[in-house]
Amino acid sequence: MSATPSPALVWLRRNLFRSPADGILTVVSAVVVATVLYRTARFVAVTGRWEIIEVNLRLLMVGRFPDIHLPRVSISLAVAAFVGGLVAGVVHRRQVAAGTSAVAHLGTGRRALDLLERFWPVLAGAALLLALSRTTGPWVTVAGALAAGMAGRLIGARLPAVVHPGVVLGAVITPFALVAYLADAVGWDGWGGLMLNVFMAVASIILCFPLGVLAALGRRSTLPAVRWVSTAYIELFRGVPLFVLLLMSGAALGFFVPVDAAPGRVVRAIVVFTLFTGAYMAEIVRGGLQSLPKGQPEAARALGLSPTKVTFLIVLPQALRNVIPAQVGQLISLFKDTTLAGFALGLFELLNVSRSITSQDAFRGQPLLPEVLAFVALLFWIGSYTMARESQRLERKLGVGER
Amino acid sequence: MTTNHESAPEPAGLADATSPVKGEPIIEMEQVTKRFGTFEALKAIDMVVGRQEVVVVIGPSGSGKSTLIRCINRLEVHDEGRIVVDGTELSDDVRNIAEIRRETGMVFQQFNLFPHLSVLDNITLAPRKVRKVRRAEAEAQGRELLEQVRIPEQADKYPGQLSGGQQQRVAIARALAMRPKVLLFDEPTSALDPEMINEVLDTIKDLAGEGRTMIVVTHEMGFAREVADRVVFMAEGQIVEVGPPEHFFTDPQEERTKAFLAQIL
Repeated sequence: MSATPSPALVWLRRNLFRSPADGILTVVSAVVVATVLYRTARFVAVTGRWEIIEVNLRLLMVGRFPDIHLPRVSISLAVAAFVGGLVAGVVHRRQVAAGTSAVAHLGTGRRALDLLERFWPVLAGAALLLALSRTTGPWVTVAGALAAGMAGRLIGARLPAVVHPGVVLGAVITPFALVAYLADAVGWDGWGGLMLNVFMAVASIILCFPLGVLAALGRRSTLPAVRWVSTAYIELFRGVPLFVLLLMSGAALGFFVPVDAAPGRVVRAIVVFTLFTGAYMAEIVRGGLQSLPKGQPEAARALGLSPTKVTFLIVLPQALRNVIPAQVGQLISLFKDTTLAGFALGLFELLNVSRSITSQDAFRGQPLLPEVLAFVALLFWIGSYTMARESQRLERKLGVGER
Repeated sequence: MTTNHESAPEPAGLADATSPVKGEPIIEMEQVTKRFGTFEALKAIDMVVGRQEVVVVIGPSGSGKSTLIRCINRLEVHDEGRIVVDGTELSDDVRNIAEIRRETGMVFQQFNLFPHLSVLDNITLAPRKVRKVRRAEAEAQGRELLEQVRIPEQADKYPGQLSGGQQQRVAIARALAMRPKVLLFDEPTSALDPEMINEVLDTIKDLAGEGRTMIVVTHEMGFAREVADRVVFMAEGQIVEVGPPEHFFTDPQEERTKAFLAQIL
């Protein structure tokens, strides 16, 4: 028995077959994983019938957005990508100046790889959509957005520091401007498909964040009235299922507001998503506020900073940083929960589109729901996974957990 | 714990806590009482600190030393009595509180640097945001202060990257940046590893040598003996004995002082 076993064998024994129980576990999991992978691959490549996606790609993406206004969607995406690129460029430049950039020392190729590693799900998703598309529109849109994003990034990295606040301001205003631009063409009811989910999610995220922070601060206020109102808001909206809130915004609003004065369904959905997620954000932020050592605000007060400055310069930056994972988790939930608005309010968002296209004449009676649901799931996974990855990157950058 | 201050022995024949050994009074405390619930942390404290005087406060833990100096910049709100700092009486008026906090710098046991700001930003934050000093000017002054506490090379690092001794010296520079008239030190070396205590004490000694008004709460007796103009011994929320260090450490009058010194020296 003097022959030395090969390293591979040693590895196998040490990691997968250390004991009989380990061995059984390894074999069972291997069988389960192989079965799932085989079935999935078979569904994707052989049994799945994907023409329903191809035929309805446009409905799934932008709903019933009229043909003549489709260029507005492409332009909006390009503008959003350009502004995103600008911000990324400015951030990069500032990090290089501060010596905190993680990629500045890398070569172009390595940095391209880094970008690919960050955004491969989005890029793969875009490639899939292009492969499924039967028209040139999506190609123009994707190419335009990519080019605009790169242009923004290059220009952003060359902007002098004086205009940086302007870029940030622009980035905050842009989503509202784009929404106005799109809504101007079709009104609120023309929105649909994935575009509607993304729009509802982005609008609610932008609105629920300050609301959550204010409610969290309010709940800790020394003024009883502020504290009671904040607590009542948080507990009320946390205590009711989101779906019920959405249904109520559709059915019960009439009790409070005259019918013709009631806002449209998209607006109602955004209000509900904002209020609901804001309540959860408030509790997350409150946790962050409580995690802060008492000495931090004390030291700031001892320096003569006013209570407002203590809150916004010392307390909040640290408290928010400490709860990034929980905050992003909540925002991912919000993104996925936008599918509830289809059923609750009859909005033509992605999931609603998916169900309705299975009853088109061409596909009626064919059980195609697994295909469309798989497609919907994939799109949401791409968005959620990318958000999660970017939040981890942000955590590392800001050194969460380090003191 | 139930000692009533009426029955406490009078520190007869000793230097009085209300007579500074030098300077015009800059901090005056009259009958200051502070309660936490039913517990009396400070019992009718009378104390006056003169300009350029260095007062070292010692005593067992829980004796009210920290509470005493935390009342001076209103991190704790006293329940009874008066506190006057540089002619301004502490009251609920937020302008008075802001005024006094601008004039008093504080250094904490746990440093309490702001971990999300660079060393230089920690130092320049208050001058810029409270005194409205322009950034360039504040940063120049900040670098000078870092020079003074002998760590100019750490300006662009973050607090988490520094040793405890370096952090505490940054905290001292941060307190100095507001050009305070009084410096309060709350056990500035108690959280430090032994080998870092001296670098911080040396920095504080430098400041004492510059003629700054300081109140230092500490357990470092050698340091107290070296820099103090007066040593104040506190126990159970009262000032038990006050004296110049040369008398205080060699010839304490009170039994409690003797017992404490016997334990600690």
